[in-house]
Amino acid sequence: MKIVIVDYGMGNIKSLVSTLQYLGADDVLLSSEYDILKSADKIILPGVGSFAKAMSQIKQKKLDVSLQDIIVKHKKPLLGICLGMQLLGRSSSEDGQNAGLGFVKGDVVKFDNSNLKVPHVGFNQVKINSNLKLYAGFSNAVDFYFTHSYKMVTDEVINQSYCDYGGDFVASFETGHIAGVQFHPELSQHNGLNLFRNFIDRF
Amino acid sequence: MLRKRIIFTLIHSQGFFMQSRNFRLQKVGNLNWLEKNYQFQKIAFSLDELIVLDATKTQKSITEFAAIISNLVTHVFIPIAAGGGIRSFEDAELLFNSGADKIVLNSVLVEDVHLVKRLIQNYGSQSIVASIDYKYNQGVCDVYIHDGNTKIDLSLEEYIQYVESLHIGEIYLNSIDRDGTGFGYDFDTIQRIEKNLKVPLIIAGGAGNENHLLEGLSSIDVSAVATANLFNFIGDGLPKAREKILESGENLANWNLLY
Repeated sequence: MKIVIVDYGMGNIKSLVSTLQYLGADDVLLSSEYDILKSADKIILPGVGSFAKAMSQIKQKKLDVSLQDIIVKHKKPLLGICLGMQLLGRSSSEDGQNAGLGFVKGDVVKFDNSNLKVPHVGFNQVKINSNLKLYAGFSNAVDFYFTHSYKMVTDEVINQSYCDYGGDFVASFETGHIAGVQFHPELSQHNGLNLFRNFIDRF
Repeated sequence: MLRKRIIFTLIHSQGFFMQSRNFRLQKVGNLNWLEKNYQFQKIAFSLDELIVLDATKTQKSITEFAAIISNLVTHVFIPIAAGGGIRSFEDAELLFNSGADKIVLNSVLVEDVHLVKRLIQNYGSQSIVASIDYKYNQGVCDVYIHDGNTKIDLSLEEYIQYVESLHIGEIYLNSIDRDGTGFGYDFDTIQRIEKNLKVPLIIAGGAGNENHLLEGLSSIDVSAVATANLFNFIGDGLPKAREKILESGENLANWNLLY
């Protein structure tokens, strides 16, 4: 199993690599090279940090072009995590208005309820549908670790699962071979390990 | 519903983990000791987060500290925040690259606002924990930086407002008076400041048993309780404490699905 983590120079990927290795993935690579990404069985788009900075790094490494080809045209399975999920959307209002990769019709906005503490930090329950590939084997509400100030909104039907923080927001989606999770499965104990197992086995 | 968190804080100094009491450090053991007595990877399964602080009083070495973090994080699937002695962008970057999910800032919040802003711009607010140390002197609540050595001129309330204005992600509020005592958290102060906070609050200093943790968790505006008390939570102390707290119905995350 060859899993390539997209390298655009941002965030802590050590826990992600360690998790995938723990699950028995024998070939875990970090790369931004087209050929290496193309040769992967699965691709993970990680991300911690600001949307604007991330998109500028992605463009600089021409990853927008590579990923369009590998993910959209050649349908390689992809999991976006946290900012990595948000980057799959059309746009974000973090640090001005910025365009995303546009693989799904999602727009990223800030939590705006003044009664809420922002960022949204900690474990929160995701209301899941166990018919989805990501959540096979799980039952109704599952705790995952979140840490974010922005959330994705979408009108598209992309098998969203929701989590409640001052109202429901998109905690994950999966559409064909592309999935995104707003939470960090690599920081979510056994629940996260099971989710990665599903991504590896079912996508 | 958003869950509350139990956090363990490991105090590190020059290759050893320490028990701190009122910020005076006592050597307990090295990484092997921790592994032997705590079976850390197992214990991590009863924690929501781990904070590791370098409290070395003399010259801190961020590269040695980063190596400790890197060793610690292998096969620990929980968020790790690291700090103590971060003075430059490169220091922070090294900790992130060594496996820290968040960094903890203290003195630079006062001494290098430009650095704090740059870190937030790159890593986002949610990656930055502001650590605030305070103690009472003749009834007056004073805020300290430099490992509790330098008093600053702002009151605790003013200082909290100030760090929030920097757009940090969370506040780690540590009572120097209660630190390592096992007397319980300083609720007089916590209750005075918690209502007005716009960011999540982690309380630290004083927890000696699971009732103290429970007391902290039941405080409405407290997001997380932290303890650095190695002695009181040694062996299976932490897993048992979490179990009891869960049984009492407190709002903690469940990972009962076995992998």
